[in-house]
Amino acid sequence: MKLKPVILTNNPLTKSSLENKYSVLYKKEASLLDILMFARDYVHKGHRLLTHPLMGSIKPNQTPFKSVAVSKECFNDVDLLSLEIIEESILKAEQLIKSKKTPVYTDKVLEDFSLIDFDLIKNALN
Amino acid sequence: MRLELGKIFIKDVQFSDETRVENGILYINKEELLKEVSGDERLRSIDVELAKPGEEVRIIPVKDVIEPRVKVEGKGGIFPGFISKVDTVGSGRTHVLKGAAVVTTGKIVGFQEGIIDMTGEGAKYTPFSKTNNIVLVCEPVDNLPQHEHEEAVRMVGFKAACYLGRAGKNVEPDEIKVYETLPLLEQVNMYPHLPKVVYVYMLQSQGLLHDTYVYGVDAKKIIPTFIYPTEVFDGAIVSGNCVSACDKNPTYVHMNNPIIEDLYERHGKDINFIGCIITNENVYLADKERSSNYTAKLVEFLGADAAIISEEGFGNPDADLVMNCNKIEEKGIKTVLVTDEYAGRDGASQSLADSTPKGDAVVTAGNANELILLPPMKKIIGHVEAADIIAGGFAGSLREDGSIEAEIQVITGATSEVGFGYLSAKGF
Repeated sequence: MKLKPVILTNNPLTKSSLENKYSVLYKKEASLLDILMFARDYVHKGHRLLTHPLMGSIKPNQTPFKSVAVSKECFNDVDLLSLEIIEESILKAEQLIKSKKTPVYTDKVLEDFSLIDFDLIKNALN
Repeated sequence: MRLELGKIFIKDVQFSDETRVENGILYINKEELLKEVSGDERLRSIDVELAKPGEEVRIIPVKDVIEPRVKVEGKGGIFPGFISKVDTVGSGRTHVLKGAAVVTTGKIVGFQEGIIDMTGEGAKYTPFSKTNNIVLVCEPVDNLPQHEHEEAVRMVGFKAACYLGRAGKNVEPDEIKVYETLPLLEQVNMYPHLPKVVYVYMLQSQGLLHDTYVYGVDAKKIIPTFIYPTEVFDGAIVSGNCVSACDKNPTYVHMNNPIIEDLYERHGKDINFIGCIITNENVYLADKERSSNYTAKLVEFLGADAAIISEEGFGNPDADLVMNCNKIEEKGIKTVLVTDEYAGRDGASQSLADSTPKGDAVVTAGNANELILLPPMKKIIGHVEAADIIAGGFAGSLREDGSIEAEIQVITGATSEVGFGYLSAKGF
């Protein structure tokens, strides 16, 4: 059974490319960490985490973009695996960002980060 | 399956009018090599440079490293599914130009990746400062999409390694090593009193610039399966992974996987090494569940007493590592995990993005967040400006004098998660 996704993202490319196919909640001003917290709220309410929040080997203090898919359906219980993964991911992201802040990049580099985030979530959901 | 690996030791590499190996020197006809690797209209230009151990040379940004090999006897050829047909490889005889390496460089995306310094502080962290490197500098046509750029550069590397490998076909090797794994029941009966050990070989498979291929198949599409260890030595597994220089497995590392080598070293002495299970590291959680279930099922089916599990990458793969560990241990089979760490610059933070109490035997390949100062080099091959925005670097990391301050994650192979490097820790 494949659950229908809702994509939580601060990546404009994910929004523009996937909003015709899936539900996309785009938070333009959100940081990477905000998107992870947002995903945790969904998990606490009973949504299932569908994609790993730290997808890609790009570290959370290297890229400003993040797309995470959770189930559209809300269940009556909290999925413990989803909870464990999102909590551990937030912990790791906070640690790395505290250790070294995400750099300010040129537009070209930002485009590349944006493309990889989008491509990984697109492939994961295909 | 039995493979003889004939090692021809290469102590120097030089341009010449004929490509050949003579007295441990690899002579290369540059024009012929370029002709062999050219023809892809996606690449505007390709050039070849040499970088030798001890030279004041920095190669940046490194995409892949590949070892020149050639099939001398037995089925198939090197890199099945890419350069050769998809015959099953891993038997017969293969010659290796040990001490030579093809390195590909190209600025596929703006932010990464991979430094090889041939001397100085950085050279201590990468095994590829000890090899005689044939560097292919590839420049794409304008506006080439990143995934096509990666594919084009990847193929140039494989073609160059096969072309150079052929120079060793009729050369008598300096050393011959024999590796053999029998069909399962025969293998089990061969050393009935030794513990049966399987290697769970996790392959990076998350997507764009994060891919690995098995006999030409994208590893994200496989279901975990069995592979004879010697197939890996013939290039059955290749890298399309361009992210996270320190802990990705370049194709060279797959071909020389030290976990497989070490398990063979102890095979028949204190363990019975029965083979490898390859599995993937996908982004979708249901894929992770399926692959880890399947992996644990296969480990149990093979009758293993213990499994060595290695991962490739950061974050998402940590979850696969933990799932594999938990599910295999739950079947009463012992596991040892091999990974690296992102434990902050002081090394004091939690190392992985997931954990389990069952993971009580872990080998680390070092802390990727450790800081390093790389001195300036006289010659740069590739794109030096990439250093400023390379993974682990930060604004200001490229100093005016050409030195670079960054985390060791910028160095190719610094914290290899199969242990093809120099860092570890001892204690328990």
